Amino acid sequence: MKTLKVAGFLAFTSLTRGNFGVMLLTILILVLVTLNLLFVPSLLRGLVHGANDKLKDTFAGDIVIESSLDNPLIPKMNVLIPEIEAIGGVVAVSPRNNMVAEIKYENERTSCVVYGIIPEREKEIFTISKSMVEGAFLDSNDRDKIVLGIQLAGAGNPDIELYSRSLKKVHAGDKILVKYGDGIQKNYTVKGIFYSEFIQTDTQAFVSEAEFESVNPLVANKASSIRIKTNDTADSSAIIEKIGQLTDGLRILTWEDYAGIMRSMTDSFHAIDTILNVVNLLVAGITVFVVTYIDVTNRRRQIGIQRAIGIMPGCITLAYLLRALFYAAVASVLASLMFLRVVLPVEARYPFHFPFGDVYLLVGFLDLARAFFILLCATMIAAFLPVWVALRMKILDAIWG
Amino acid sequence: MAEKTLIYNIQELTKAYDTGKVKIKALDSVSFTVSEGDMLAIMGRSGSGKSTLLRQMGLLDRPTSGSLLFEGEEVTGLPESDRTKMRLKSMGYVFQEYALLGELTAHQNVYLPGMMLGKKGSNYKERAKELLELVGLGQRTGHYPKELSGGEQQRVAIARALINSPSVLLADEPCANLDTISSKSVMETMVRLNSHLQVTIIFISHDPTDKQYARSLIVLSDGRIAERE
Repeated sequence: MKTLKVAGFLAFTSLTRGNFGVMLLTILILVLVTLNLLFVPSLLRGLVHGANDKLKDTFAGDIVIESSLDNPLIPKMNVLIPEIEAIGGVVAVSPRNNMVAEIKYENERTSCVVYGIIPEREKEIFTISKSMVEGAFLDSNDRDKIVLGIQLAGAGNPDIELYSRSLKKVHAGDKILVKYGDGIQKNYTVKGIFYSEFIQTDTQAFVSEAEFESVNPLVANKASSIRIKTNDTADSSAIIEKIGQLTDGLRILTWEDYAGIMRSMTDSFHAIDTILNVVNLLVAGITVFVVTYIDVTNRRRQIGIQRAIGIMPGCITLAYLLRALFYAAVASVLASLMFLRVVLPVEARYPFHFPFGDVYLLVGFLDLARAFFILLCATMIAAFLPVWVALRMKILDAIWG
Repeated sequence: MAEKTLIYNIQELTKAYDTGKVKIKALDSVSFTVSEGDMLAIMGRSGSGKSTLLRQMGLLDRPTSGSLLFEGEEVTGLPESDRTKMRLKSMGYVFQEYALLGELTAHQNVYLPGMMLGKKGSNYKERAKELLELVGLGQRTGHYPKELSGGEQQRVAIARALINSPSVLLADEPCANLDTISSKSVMETMVRLNSHLQVTIIFISHDPTDKQYARSLIVLSDGRIAERE
């Protein structure tokens, strides 16, 4: 208690009577280090979160049922879909059929997968219908109409990623020729063009289920895949297990398993996040060490005097640790305020643009706590080492140099 | 008449510095005793070993050989933590260049060692004020060292050295950096403390006129005692 009291007194007087410029500089450096500790992980988290959301909302849904090699089409949709819908936690179910096709427009052509969908069901799972940049989304009774992803249509927008491989100047209302993989050719009117900002989705084309069955009657009451949306609290593995009990020979996947590339990307981002945190930790530690080292070197005489008049070494060390704690606390509060009140709103207004859409910084209380903890540890270690060195010197050497 | 307690009993104290090529003996088998209530002046020319001797006595340095008993306890082999505690409790040290902490006021400089010792029931802040009054700085308690003259800073250092009622006050050329008037003031302060508070005082001086303030004298020459009065 006595040690803490004296250490607190020494720390307080050195803060209030010490060099204000040095204190300001130290805090400023720590604020920058903390912002760095917050910014990169929150960007990566925003990236992963944004990509995963796009994947679920425009491409995979929460659970995907695929036909197996033995059964290219899942039969008895009229029975299976109500059964799946009856499982607790399932919000919406949408069967899909698909076929590869080549699309032609004037002198341009490109290949893609055309999906036959039930528009009303799709709207309950995916947000594609809300991403129309031209025209409108499909209705169930649409015939001879198709909606195209912008990466297929081009839409006269050379800024899109796959413009050179697209049909370049197709707009809503234009006529295109679709040549299906089974040899059937058909002219369609482009009813709409969507831009989901998820490149895998924006290279897809959709027709209504009835239209798809008209070019491929074999798929009636069948589907090549089923997309399922679950509520936020649902246990995906329990739902997958129940679906597995309904029928044999299907591949049932979570959205993460279905899009393995995203899992790989997420894992890579986590690895990058960890590496950057270690680097940030080192940068923070070295920065604080340099600042504290210079500070302590300048105060070596003071430390010598304190030892000479009987102030215990533990007390002197504690005083410097308390100073470091103060610096870390002030820097953390300032950095958190700057991050939450300035960086986040500015980034939200001018978000980073990635191929799967705008990325928003994502930060939670735990991230702030983690940044503070990392900074605190780095600051404490960096403050301790030079004081420890100064305390190992002979008293007279410390005072007289 | 009751025999006075020995504060220091120093026997064959030697301090040698090894410069690599030559071994220099700053103190060479010095032996003497200091009794309670004494006011001892250590004098000698520059380089005679005065400061080296005082630093051994103030536990700021360790001798190469010999024995140094402080209040009957051999202190040369004590671990640093015990020496720090002994400096805090039983010794007051006044440096030639004041050695005040620049971020503390005169009052805070004086009461800091009292705060560290933290004797039960002691009011170290009040005692610090009394000591500052005693050294004639009662009106300057809130001043920082840079706002005080050299003589005033040295008197603050003396007050600080006395805060824990030490058995001995060690002063290393306390007047070396002071003008004549300030020097006189500091020396008279120490005499007053010695006679009023019965504090044992050991001070270094190279000024022969300071002999008048001492009750006893040691003159060092080349690390040896050349004269003892």
